[in-house]
Amino acid sequence: MSDIYEFNGAAGSGWSQPPPMFEGAEKTIPISLRRSKLPEWPRASEPELVRHYTWLSQRNFGIDTGFYPLGSCTMKHNPRVNERIVNLPGIDRIHPLQPEHQIQGLLAIFFEMQEMLEICAGMDQVTLQPVAGAQGEFAAIRCIQEYHRDIGEGHRDKVIVPDSAHGTNPASAAMCGYEVIEIPSGSDGRLDLDALGAAVGDDTAAMMVTNPNTLGIFEPEIAQAAEIVHAAGGQMYYDGANFNAILGKTDPGRMGFDAVHYNLHKTFSQPHGGGGPGSGPIGVKSHLAAYLPAPVADREETEGGGIVGNGFRYFWRTPEKSIGKVQQWHGNAGAVIRSWAFYRRYGRELEKMSEHAVLNANYLRHRIMQGAEGVHAMPLDGAPADVVKHEFTLSMTPLKDAVGVSGKDVAKRLLDYGYMSPTLYFPMIVPECLMIEPTETESKEVLDKFAKDFLTILAEDPEIVTTAPHDTKVRRVDEVLAARSLVLRHPLTD
Amino acid sequence: MDQLPNLGRENEMLKEMGLSSIDDLFSDIPEEVRRTEVLPLPEPQSEEEILADAQRLLGVNIDLDSRPSFLSTGLARNFVPTMVGMLATRGEFLTAYTPYQPEVSQGMLQAMWEFQTMISELVALPVSNVSMYDASTSAAEAITCAVRVKGRKAEQKGVVYVSQFVPPHRFSVIENYTQGGGIELRILEHGEDGQIDLEAAHVAAGACAVYVEQPNAFGQLDEGITQLKEIIGEHTALIVGVDAVSLGIVEAPGNYGADIVVGEGQPFGIGPTAGGPIYGLFACNMEYLRQMPGRIVGKTLDEDGRDAFTLTLSTREQHIRRHRATSNICSNETLIALMGAMHMALLGPEGLERLALRVAASTEAAKKAISSIENVELVSPSMPNFREFSVKLPGLASDALLFMDDRGVLGGFDIGEWWNSKSSHLLIGCDERTSKSDIDALVDALSSWIEEVVS
Repeated sequence: MSDIYEFNGAAGSGWSQPPPMFEGAEKTIPISLRRSKLPEWPRASEPELVRHYTWLSQRNFGIDTGFYPLGSCTMKHNPRVNERIVNLPGIDRIHPLQPEHQIQGLLAIFFEMQEMLEICAGMDQVTLQPVAGAQGEFAAIRCIQEYHRDIGEGHRDKVIVPDSAHGTNPASAAMCGYEVIEIPSGSDGRLDLDALGAAVGDDTAAMMVTNPNTLGIFEPEIAQAAEIVHAAGGQMYYDGANFNAILGKTDPGRMGFDAVHYNLHKTFSQPHGGGGPGSGPIGVKSHLAAYLPAPVADREETEGGGIVGNGFRYFWRTPEKSIGKVQQWHGNAGAVIRSWAFYRRYGRELEKMSEHAVLNANYLRHRIMQGAEGVHAMPLDGAPADVVKHEFTLSMTPLKDAVGVSGKDVAKRLLDYGYMSPTLYFPMIVPECLMIEPTETESKEVLDKFAKDFLTILAEDPEIVTTAPHDTKVRRVDEVLAARSLVLRHPLTD
Repeated sequence: MDQLPNLGRENEMLKEMGLSSIDDLFSDIPEEVRRTEVLPLPEPQSEEEILADAQRLLGVNIDLDSRPSFLSTGLARNFVPTMVGMLATRGEFLTAYTPYQPEVSQGMLQAMWEFQTMISELVALPVSNVSMYDASTSAAEAITCAVRVKGRKAEQKGVVYVSQFVPPHRFSVIENYTQGGGIELRILEHGEDGQIDLEAAHVAAGACAVYVEQPNAFGQLDEGITQLKEIIGEHTALIVGVDAVSLGIVEAPGNYGADIVVGEGQPFGIGPTAGGPIYGLFACNMEYLRQMPGRIVGKTLDEDGRDAFTLTLSTREQHIRRHRATSNICSNETLIALMGAMHMALLGPEGLERLALRVAASTEAAKKAISSIENVELVSPSMPNFREFSVKLPGLASDALLFMDDRGVLGGFDIGEWWNSKSSHLLIGCDERTSKSDIDALVDALSSWIEEVVS
């Protein structure tokens, strides 16, 4: 193992820097505040660190390494020109509070992104400030909360979520102070309108839904669900995690939603970076626009073409009843610009992206289910449907019952074959669930091979599968030990 | 459209499924909600055209390095070593998701465990998570975390004191994050001299938590903060927001009783990047561990007894606990934290100290030069500063900034945008890259403006 604390070869700093402007600058700090002992940071040279981090990278699996069918996460290819663009000084070396005339290009891109997202979701106003999907949920539910307080409906204290919802939905609603009402899905995995009808009332603030749902199934009765919630005086919130499935084919506005968040790190290809950064803009219908976090990008016509040269002057605008800030600046501008570069590749043909995401998901599902016919312990469809959208779920219960191989075992065995595992045990309403989302950027050959390897695993000696993985850098990791015997930092004394 | 490997092969794939058209795949969307018209968006572009547009649009922005710049407000115009961007954007890091499968994610897990170690060392507290969104969400979630831990025994139920000199954009984030939790925010007053009023601070004893910043919104270092824990007592959490670089020469809050330390990680790892992605630091005592927000990496063993790393204590998190989770945070800023870890490792302890000394020296040099201009008055002259300091001008700070802007100097930040009553106060930010000629340019520009105003 390469231990970053074992490089003690470099004298002092691993990286040279110019001297301070004058000697003795420590005297600017009163003695009572001066640091007594420097932190124990590694003492390493650049060559040692380059090798260390290269070694670490080789022990990590990204989309660039191989197929990454992690359901709900939309692990599509990340075009590399986007990385080049965010290194331009016109974004990397910009302060968000610079005078507007110094950042007209940035504002123009923000404005274009807001408009594009408004168009794609059928919303009236977008803000790019939230920096993750969960923060988008939080910000939009806060807007709904302030809206209700404003119109004398502040007593509404409940938010409804289906039991198949992402965990962030109930967590975000609870953080805003709402009681969360979870309603059961129907036996087909879809929204149960009777359950919804029984749950709504004059205490309903909102319902949070993702469509297609987490089973990858489109909710055909979504417009009726919206009517039920609206009739009770509640607002409809769209979790945009699965937006990749429907772009250009339908939109949350048409379905009856009042607010939506987008995951730019899913649909619009901001790289996930091992857990972030993300970007979670929100869009709302006009009645909620005044409450959005501040500021949003806006523009007005100007004489002489303006600095950008398109006849507009751009500026930041604070919505009149804004909830204030959820992130301290204007959002993850770098992610916004990458997503702008991504959307520009498709432009008016963005729906092709969704078509291919859905094509690939259905094709892979077909290859697996058709190939599994006759195989012992054929997986069960997570939900019955002729077609799925961008992802699908498989229940591995038959395999578990027949030979004792769990969904987790299959997931771990897939790692040996050079794949990332699908999302495991989510949604919770499907037992032994594997949730598979291939995305639009995988070729037919990759899908064919994955289906073949997947089916091979189903027929493998259970002993091999239950003890997988065998060919990874480490074998199955003891997570129980990790939680019981906490080692959360380097002990340094080793 | 070069992102779609199966373009042109749709029919082949559809045929295999027994379908005849792409429309069949969307037949489950009811007609009343279906979109039939084309998206009113521009024509698709090639990589080459997109890059050209990006260069044209971003090229009209004026970058901080192109002129003397003194705009900071807690975001650093830093220098990031070249290695950082090159290695962090290796595809295995860049294009990975959260390491749910530790067997194929040891690289990022180990890097984050090392990050936790470096942050733990930096602030002198035992536990760090792998990042929050920014300094403001770190502060806000530190407060909700502290209330969960201290709330039950606190004499002042749900009460949290927040320093008067926390910047308003951060205070706004804190308000949004705390308003749903039955938390009452009260203001911890500062005295005439700018320091926290330690006598008045006794009111906070028995509250759930106190949040202060070192340095505060005006870059002032407050000696009294080191006595705060003694005043508020063990039943009240002390949360300190820091300038991470300052900790190369300023005492680590863990050493004067802080229970939770938060701050902006951005100076380590990434440029100001128009305000994001950046990352928030969050470190705490063991008492807060199980109520912490965010991802945490632990060291463990694999089946064969080899060292291995994994995400741990996930039962705090939203994907397990749902509405009872400690936070809704899921995506965080891991990649930027990785860049921070690389930067910190390259600096090493002595490199950190030198970096802090460089910032301290340029701050002091600028402070001296600016305060010697006639009619410019240093605010709270008895307090030491780090990175930033504020001065009172004989006119509106916004006017001064416009005047200096015309002369090619980004002269700082108009504090009137934060507090109406301080519209003549200018916040001047320095960093390791501030040069003597930058300071000369600022002095010249500000002096010229003052001559015009006064005459």
